[in-house]
Amino acid sequence: MEAIAAVANGFMDLFRAGSETFIAWVTGIIPLVVIMMTAVNSLIKLIGEDRVNGVAEFATKYTVTRYTILPVLAVIFLCNPMCYTFGRFVEEKNKPAFYDAAVSFVHPVTGLFPHANGGELFVYMGIAAGITQLGLSLGDLAVRYFIVGVIVILIRGIVTDKIYAHMSNKK
Amino acid sequence: MSYKSVTIKAGKGGFGGPLTLVPTDTRNKVVSVTGGGIHPVAAKIAEMTGCPAVDGFSTGVPDNEILVAIVDCGGTARCGVYPKKRIFTVNVLPVGQTGPLARFITEDIYVSAVDASCISFADESAVSKAGTPTNPTSAPKTKAQAKAEIAKMNEGKPKNLATRIGIAIGGVVNKFYAAGRETIDITIKTILPFMAFVSMILGIISASGLGDVIANTISPIASTLPGMLIVSFICAIPFISPVLGPGAVIAQVVGTLLGVQIGLGNIPPQYALPALFAIDAQVGCDFIPVGMSLGEAEPETIELGVPAILYSRVITGPIAVLIAYVFSIGLYS
Repeated sequence: MEAIAAVANGFMDLFRAGSETFIAWVTGIIPLVVIMMTAVNSLIKLIGEDRVNGVAEFATKYTVTRYTILPVLAVIFLCNPMCYTFGRFVEEKNKPAFYDAAVSFVHPVTGLFPHANGGELFVYMGIAAGITQLGLSLGDLAVRYFIVGVIVILIRGIVTDKIYAHMSNKK
Repeated sequence: MSYKSVTIKAGKGGFGGPLTLVPTDTRNKVVSVTGGGIHPVAAKIAEMTGCPAVDGFSTGVPDNEILVAIVDCGGTARCGVYPKKRIFTVNVLPVGQTGPLARFITEDIYVSAVDASCISFADESAVSKAGTPTNPTSAPKTKAQAKAEIAKMNEGKPKNLATRIGIAIGGVVNKFYAAGRETIDITIKTILPFMAFVSMILGIISASGLGDVIANTISPIASTLPGMLIVSFICAIPFISPVLGPGAVIAQVVGTLLGVQIGLGNIPPQYALPALFAIDAQVGCDFIPVGMSLGEAEPETIELGVPAILYSRVITGPIAVLIAYVFSIGLYS
């Protein structure tokens, strides 16, 4: 009898550890994320997609802005996965590179703007949870993640452009 | 060549359907957007209908030629993209209305948890009822027409100041409310389920002692620069990256596991930044053809664009880790 009880207790412990993690996440992460997402979502609705379109058309003209400002705006304003529709502002030969830049930004953006990719928060949040546990602040990590993200998408845009150009010439 | 019509119903735990597919001379491509070649379900549908099966990763197909799209989406993005374009969508995974595009996933356009046993030849009554899905442009058009009619009715009626202020405030409040509703939607449909599933896994890992094994194997790799460069390189290998991609589930689980190790002090906190890029070199590699078609790219561009991006990642994946490593100097010290 006691042996069965011990097994049952051990079995419950297996899930008790999980439930503690779940409580910590639901109370620690969700309230802040919900309020931030609501605030940014409202702001985006107030500004409106139309006004962003003008900036987007301008940003496609130069290589540097095409793989920095354009994807960053697209991801923040349209979110994953609709951000890729900004590819329509880009010349045909640059479309693969634009997609590469935009999709590579859907995680670096989540540190500061979690609304932009609410479905895939835990790439950042998972690692960030460890930082919080150590009692360190997240701001520094989030800002650096964002900045490195912008540099990386610029490089990715340029490299993919070159590879695509090379492949289409060959063809 | 004559095509045959088929009916596809949802599998166990699936959602939506049954869909009746009626191929026509133009709309007759079975597009497999699953990564790793033609999915068996796509092959089966192609075989039964007599339509060609197309690998959506290597060949671009114009939207109006797609009879049906086969996806293996875990519920974040891809499962909603084709329904939004009103293209019949078959998901091989048991996923219902979730993700940012959940509102487009409806029973008349989408069916999930499909395996080969769900597909049968359609009987005639179903064929006559079915047809091609309604044109995606028709709905917004009628909306625009309705708007124009209302505008016409309001013409010549000057609004006074109080009315205009009232309308403006109402508009702003409505936008806040809509923002709140969207946020709660995504929290319930996407964030909470993920939390539930990962905390269950984490709980089992920590309570069963598997955690120590992970600590001893992952931590040493993730706390050196060469280790992380290797991880990013592996994630970026062209035939691995599209498989690792879907829903960023793998990156999210690995991120959470690394977070636990950082919290325990097994990995120094400043390595968080390069680690974020190391585990994510494959980001979006599963989504390239869909994402590019959202950007209105031509099928030829998509065809060459997929390998161009996959090759590019082999170079830029490790570079991203290097840059992040440089930027992590001085972080948390």
